[in-house]
Amino acid sequence: MHPGGGRGAAPGAGGENVRFPGRFPSRPGGSRAIVRSVRLALETASLLLAGTVGGLALNAASPRPAPLSVPIHSAAEAGGGMCAVPGAPAAPRARRIGVEEARGHCEACTAGFVDARSAAEFAAGHVTGAVHLPPVGHPDEAVVIAGLRAHPMVIVYDGDYSCALADEVAARLRREGLPDIRVLQGAWPAWVEAGAPGSAGACPACHAGGGR
Amino acid sequence: MSAALALLRIALGGLLLWAGASKIPDMASFAESVANYRIVPAPLVPAAAAAVVGIEIVAGVLLVAGRLARAASLVTALLLAVFTAALGIALLRGIDLRCGCFGGEEAATWGTVARDVVLLAAAVAVFLKGPGRLVPKAEGTLRSGPAAAPRSFPAKSGSPGT
Repeated sequence: MHPGGGRGAAPGAGGENVRFPGRFPSRPGGSRAIVRSVRLALETASLLLAGTVGGLALNAASPRPAPLSVPIHSAAEAGGGMCAVPGAPAAPRARRIGVEEARGHCEACTAGFVDARSAAEFAAGHVTGAVHLPPVGHPDEAVVIAGLRAHPMVIVYDGDYSCALADEVAARLRREGLPDIRVLQGAWPAWVEAGAPGSAGACPACHAGGGR
Repeated sequence: MSAALALLRIALGGLLLWAGASKIPDMASFAESVANYRIVPAPLVPAAAAAVVGIEIVAGVLLVAGRLARAASLVTALLLAVFTAALGIALLRGIDLRCGCFGGEEAATWGTVARDVVLLAAAVAVFLKGPGRLVPKAEGTLRSGPAAAPRSFPAKSGSPGT
């Protein structure tokens, strides 16, 4: 119907528009669409809110929660250095250990630490007492692994949050039969950020006749 | 058509539920995967990871149950659009990363992107076409009784259902 038809219609032309000349035909389709849109927006917002709150609760209940107060950087931002052995098959993901727990083991000398990064990165700074054992290219691997057998637990770390080096070394140590091998969660940057004990220099204990 | 939509909705919801639930045992690892996409600032990564898991689970449950299906499919479509874009951008930039999709070690590939596009299409279909019904609505349920009382107003002259 023409929108102005109500007001201008001749008497007797029929219908409600004559008796109520000021009343325009309602458009229920339009208002229903608005109501539907608003309802959808509200439902979507509620769903997002419920999901976020639920997700935070599930994170708290997770056996390995994401630490909410610690910024997590991408591997690319966390530091340079080689992050995987080219051409090597992906190593299985080893069990992780948090920085604070690892720090306790470091201070109480109840775990051996293994630095899986390059020799240059190790020399620039490493966990105090750590030995240097990259996945490939170490001349005295057997010496290092023999030394690690003295520890009830071995904690391996590398340079990045998602590096594969620590997992590769952990897999290697597991094949050697070491009982409890963990990979440091957050790797070397998290250790530094936590202010946990570190030192610099080469690794005399890592080579035959070097320091033991 | 309606039953197909309902099956699509339930399959999508189930997949989403599985994707969310499989991340719970190792949220720290999923947060690392999120960080590697480099689209969320580092301080917000852990909270964003937790939120993604929670939203996946809530949307998955709603899709399976057929409740608030429009909102759930909209959220699912948005989530999948973000995942697809993030994966595609990461692959184009040559970033080698774990997908983080189902809490495992699955690497991100163009196959993962294709899978996300298919899921995105399913979510959009449910959003646009509605949740569907597994069991078709019984004839005459809108009327007052089984006798299908005659309408009190004249039927439109046009053919019904067009």
